[in-house]
Amino acid sequence: MALKIVFLILLFSFRFRLSLSGNGQTNSMESVPDLQKSMYMVVDGYPCVRLVNLSGEIGCSNPGRDKVVAPIIKYKNNKELGLPSAILLSMDDVQGFFSRISNDSSFASNVAGVLVESRVEIQHKLKGFSPARKFPQAEFAPYHNTTYEWNPIGSGIMWKSYNFPVFLLSESSTSTLQEIAMKNEKTEKAYTTNVAEFDVVMQTTKVGTHDSESCLKEETCLPLGGYSVWSAVPPINNSSSNQSKPIILTVASMDAASFFRDKSLGADSPISGLISLLAAVDALSHVDGLDNLNKQLVFLVFTGEAWGYLGSRRFLLELDQQSDAVRGLNSSLIQLVMEIGSTGKGFSQGNKTFFAHTQVSSDTNEALDALKLAQESLKSEGVTVSNASSSNPGIPPSSLMAFLRKNSSTSGIVLEDFDTVFANKFYHSHLDDSANINSSAIVAAASLVARTLYVLASDKKDSTSSALSSINANASLVEELISCLLDCDPGLSCELVSSYITSVDTCPSYYVGVALGEPSSTPSPNQVDDISRFVWNFLADRTSTLKGNTTVCSKDCSNNGGVCIRAETDGKGICVNSTTRYVPAYSTRLKLDSGTWKVLPPNSSDPMGMLDPVWTESNWNTIGLRVYTVQEAAYDRLVLLGGISVTVLAYLAIVLTRAYITKALKQD
Amino acid sequence: MTVAAGIGYALVALGPSLSLFIAFISKKPFLILTLLSSTLVWLISLIILSGIWRAFLPLNSTTWWPFAILIFSSIAFQEGLRLLFWKVYKRLEDILDAFADRVSKPRLYPTDKMQIALGHGVAHAVFFCLSLLTPAFGPATYFVDRCSQIPFFLVSAIIALAFVTVHTFSMVIAFNGYAEGNKVDQLFVPSVHLAAGMMTMINFAYGGCVIGIPLLFLMAILTVMHCGRMVWRRLSESQRQVDS
Repeated sequence: MALKIVFLILLFSFRFRLSLSGNGQTNSMESVPDLQKSMYMVVDGYPCVRLVNLSGEIGCSNPGRDKVVAPIIKYKNNKELGLPSAILLSMDDVQGFFSRISNDSSFASNVAGVLVESRVEIQHKLKGFSPARKFPQAEFAPYHNTTYEWNPIGSGIMWKSYNFPVFLLSESSTSTLQEIAMKNEKTEKAYTTNVAEFDVVMQTTKVGTHDSESCLKEETCLPLGGYSVWSAVPPINNSSSNQSKPIILTVASMDAASFFRDKSLGADSPISGLISLLAAVDALSHVDGLDNLNKQLVFLVFTGEAWGYLGSRRFLLELDQQSDAVRGLNSSLIQLVMEIGSTGKGFSQGNKTFFAHTQVSSDTNEALDALKLAQESLKSEGVTVSNASSSNPGIPPSSLMAFLRKNSSTSGIVLEDFDTVFANKFYHSHLDDSANINSSAIVAAASLVARTLYVLASDKKDSTSSALSSINANASLVEELISCLLDCDPGLSCELVSSYITSVDTCPSYYVGVALGEPSSTPSPNQVDDISRFVWNFLADRTSTLKGNTTVCSKDCSNNGGVCIRAETDGKGICVNSTTRYVPAYSTRLKLDSGTWKVLPPNSSDPMGMLDPVWTESNWNTIGLRVYTVQEAAYDRLVLLGGISVTVLAYLAIVLTRAYITKALKQD
Repeated sequence: MTVAAGIGYALVALGPSLSLFIAFISKKPFLILTLLSSTLVWLISLIILSGIWRAFLPLNSTTWWPFAILIFSSIAFQEGLRLLFWKVYKRLEDILDAFADRVSKPRLYPTDKMQIALGHGVAHAVFFCLSLLTPAFGPATYFVDRCSQIPFFLVSAIIALAFVTVHTFSMVIAFNGYAEGNKVDQLFVPSVHLAAGMMTMINFAYGGCVIGIPLLFLMAILTVMHCGRMVWRRLSESQRQVDS
């Protein structure tokens, strides 16, 4: 007994001499939910979702109703896959990977999911990346040469259908997952693997509706759509004689597309054009005597252009129908369409160069002359505008195509920063961000357009007039718009944007989204997305003529006339006199009929509608990505066996002991 | 892990208790009551302790001495409670035995006291292991940095098994010690409890669980052996009494 106590004391002292301080950080867990959170790591990423058209589908989805669980493996070009895995892909390998998927079916069958890394440095090393086609939306071109490659870098990978989920990882998640993939390779514990669990279950896959008509009928998808915005300078007075002035339309678009739905930035194509338009409107708003112009200027910002020119086609249809949304516009009075395409890459060695793409027509010469005049006045700033090469088959992919298909005698100019092929090496990709554009090019384009419009509207021919040289785009406004619209910080919570609207997200994404609710000319704010609401408020503010007393409003100003801007900013909305309206943007082949969308049959009076794929987006419940460690099934069974054997052995020991004691005592 | 592994961990921690329970309650369902009340009393003691210590949590996990104080104070409280428990049990036993005599039924046997002892062990296993086991039934497993060779739930279950053994047999030794007035037995129990408790702090060091867990099992075996020796002593004494 004494020995036992001595042994115990020895044990005590031995224990105290051991080093007990553990250095390094341990995550302090205070409850079982904390334990669960450490076990299952939620990874933030941007998914690729399922889009459906009249003849099939594109995009990505889980192959069935269940989550996909697969071990994470780093992609190596020559390696074969033994079992279904989640592939971690670097941006350099994306193109090669997807071509291998389409060629090698045995490799493709073992791809359970894809995780794409994102690193800032990679973008500079890449020569270019564009998942769009080589001639985007070629079927809508008003000319026959549809094999011309406007976007030679385009791989077309976003226009194919994949039956596995694909995620773009955020920067922080990329390093975490690279570590995990390396751990998997080393396999220090042979019975555990790190797996990724993808939850990208699309309703169209679950229900089995693989084309637009059936999925709209089953209500497993929603059509793409949004709200375009137009504004008139000066505001159109309903009663006055303004209505007979010829109209000059200035057009830009505000929607982008990308392989990853929530990372559609489109900095160069088309947001740089949008910023140029907004800056031009701002520049013109400071000019005196706008009421005395000979022509009516109308600024138009479309959405949905990347998915079948939804905005422009719908606008033209509403013009024909003389609907409420376009009240005050007479389509026969439209003299010229000036479209501002991408302008962000028109800068090289101090010079800003732009190209005017036109379809030959009589009135375009007048517009081209005006452009030349404006260029003359901006010569000191190194701005040049050249006519596009005659070897081009026609105008590049642009909203003007919709106007020309409707009426081939429409005069129009598309102002772009490229001549024969896109200057944008990241067209329709998540890498087309603010590092891809130059702000001075955007400022130059804005000044150019503003001066051209002034020349056209005032019929002045003098390039040295003081009025013309006073029209300058505000460079700090352009810088501010770039930081608000194309960066995450400050993003949409910046001062300029938050003075007009309240936005939920700060990081921008210009994917057009789905049409929410009944399309109308006066939609409620929750039906319209952030960028449309900002553009509406901005244009209404800049094109307004000052009223004597500004009345506070919260929704509309019908009793005073005019519109209510800044209505979302905590009751500081004010009524201004401006003609700024929303126009619904959705396919001309669709109609909302008692709560469900119906596809209308093709109509020969709508030739573009006959070619329209009618894009819809599948519904889904949740989209998520988790990473955790998994034990081999054999190990689990071993543990169960161990538990059962411990129980059984204990039982046997107890029974034997009891029998022995009973025998010894002859009792119990 | 999966449902299979979850059940496995639960069985590792509580399997022997289950066996003990089945082996003895099959004849006397009344023992379920004694087991449950014992478990309840010890669970309440743990809840009171956690209530008192809540004010000081979370403890800084880079230094070991706050944990040493925590363990020491908790064990001191539980040992004090054990003494109190013994006094209450003595009173209750007298009442129950008198009642049994009146209705001519057998009295409480020594093995029945095992269920009360078991209650303490089961309470420990439930509080420290089973309550954490819910995530073990999901698909993922978990490894702690400082013990990266063995899954966390397995470590937890094994430690719980060791403590169930220690507590169960300690209570038998303690009751016997109080009944006979044997000072060695009375001291043995708190010291083993304290040693086992302090030994879990070895797990703080990196890779410490590889040393700590076998040591803990050593404590458990020590307790079982001491209990066995004590029972053998009692048996041979009563044998001699019968013979003489």
